[in-house]
Amino acid sequence: MTEWFSEFADRFYRNFIKEDRWQYITDGLLVTIQITVFAVILGVVIGFLVAIIRSTHDKTGKLKIANVICRLYLTVIRGTPVVVQLLIIYYGIFASVTIDKMIVAVIAFGINSGAYVAEIVRSGIMSIDKGQFEAGRSLGFNYAQTMIYIIIPQAFKNVLPALGNELIVLLKETSVSGYIAMEDLTKGGDIIRSRTYDAMMPLLAVAAIYLTVVIILEFLVGKLERRLRNSDH
Amino acid sequence: MTTDNVLISVKDLKKKFDGMENHALNGVSIDIHHGEVVFVVGPSGSGKSTFLRCLNLLEEPTGGTILFEGVDITDPKTDINIHRRKMGMVFQQFNLFPHMNIMKNLTIAPMKLLGKSKDEAEKTAMELLERVGLANRADAYPNQLSGGQKQRIAIVRALCMKPDVMLFDEPTSALDPEMVGEVLNVMRELAEENMTMVVVTHEMAFAKEVASRVIFMDNGSIVEENSPEEFFSNPKSERLKSFLSKVI
Repeated sequence: MTEWFSEFADRFYRNFIKEDRWQYITDGLLVTIQITVFAVILGVVIGFLVAIIRSTHDKTGKLKIANVICRLYLTVIRGTPVVVQLLIIYYGIFASVTIDKMIVAVIAFGINSGAYVAEIVRSGIMSIDKGQFEAGRSLGFNYAQTMIYIIIPQAFKNVLPALGNELIVLLKETSVSGYIAMEDLTKGGDIIRSRTYDAMMPLLAVAAIYLTVVIILEFLVGKLERRLRNSDH
Repeated sequence: MTTDNVLISVKDLKKKFDGMENHALNGVSIDIHHGEVVFVVGPSGSGKSTFLRCLNLLEEPTGGTILFEGVDITDPKTDINIHRRKMGMVFQQFNLFPHMNIMKNLTIAPMKLLGKSKDEAEKTAMELLERVGLANRADAYPNQLSGGQKQRIAIVRALCMKPDVMLFDEPTSALDPEMVGEVLNVMRELAEENMTMVVVTHEMAFAKEVASRVIFMDNGSIVEENSPEEFFSNPKSERLKSFLSKVI
């Protein structure tokens, strides 16, 4: 028992304490969180925009060209792996300019997530009873006002669980940032592995941190969901 | 009645839904005057709801014109949103906004569209709520109300915009029988205050009592119109006779 413990302590020392290797983990976590937060903001903006264009087209038949562009975007983004998109954006589109890799990652993951958010939000908009829309219009609200005051708030509440899920998926997907040599949480653990030739300990630590963050996110989303539900109770 | 008393003038109104063979409305013409309470009755599928929903362009007519307060609202250049503020509508399914409490349901349109202050809008809403006996439910959410209460709130929501006409689309059809009376009472009061109303309904007794004119529609056309006394006691067309024999 003492033997096992002393070996564990030794491994722990080599992987995390020696040469301040824990910093690979903490710095990596910060990078992961930064990418996720900004990508989520970009994704939600793109997602709502695309969802509104698509559902406006479905409801009114207007915005034909914008709708075609949106559908193309959805098909391409959802039909190709996010790693490939990340590599194309970094090595292809931004090849000839010097640009912060963080920005590249945020753009890539934001554009990717936007496609999924768009379909989630669109399903939320389409799930709202037609009578809500008519009630808004009959009072004199124009199309945009009806969307903003009446449809979107209800749609948002309906799709909140799905959006929370998308946030969790996005957080985990950023683990491929290492492909463009970003030192995110996953890469941090991997760097430690390459130094200490010990795979289990750093990678289990990385996994545990992802899990912790996800549990915290789930808790927060659940709380928001309950609060919104109470409000219409 | 003189023509300058006309609030809504409908001429040869037509509506054909995509993919349908027959016209839902087949050239309907009617003048609705200030203070008039017009009831529209007829079998289901007769086009009466479509007619009502065309009046504020919730359904876009495929032909004909509608003059509302002298303005052709079927003209694509007309901003219909301005005119809809003057046309209150009450739906069969109430369509209250479930994510807002009652006060917010009642004040959002006057505040956002008429530029009323919060205090002003809430004062108007409160007065109207008191009149329908629901002042104590101002903070409730629609889900906490009964069907009859919801519909009374829906009427108040439309009235908060100070409309010139109220359109009722089968306002009691989704209600439990014991709740019909409370909604009809509110409508009766409105009629007594000379509110112009167009009511699509199956409540024949109520039509007989409140209407200034009753219209019978069938197959997308107005078949017969008359004062309520004549309409119910002395129907002229065979179709109306047969309809009345089934519903009364």
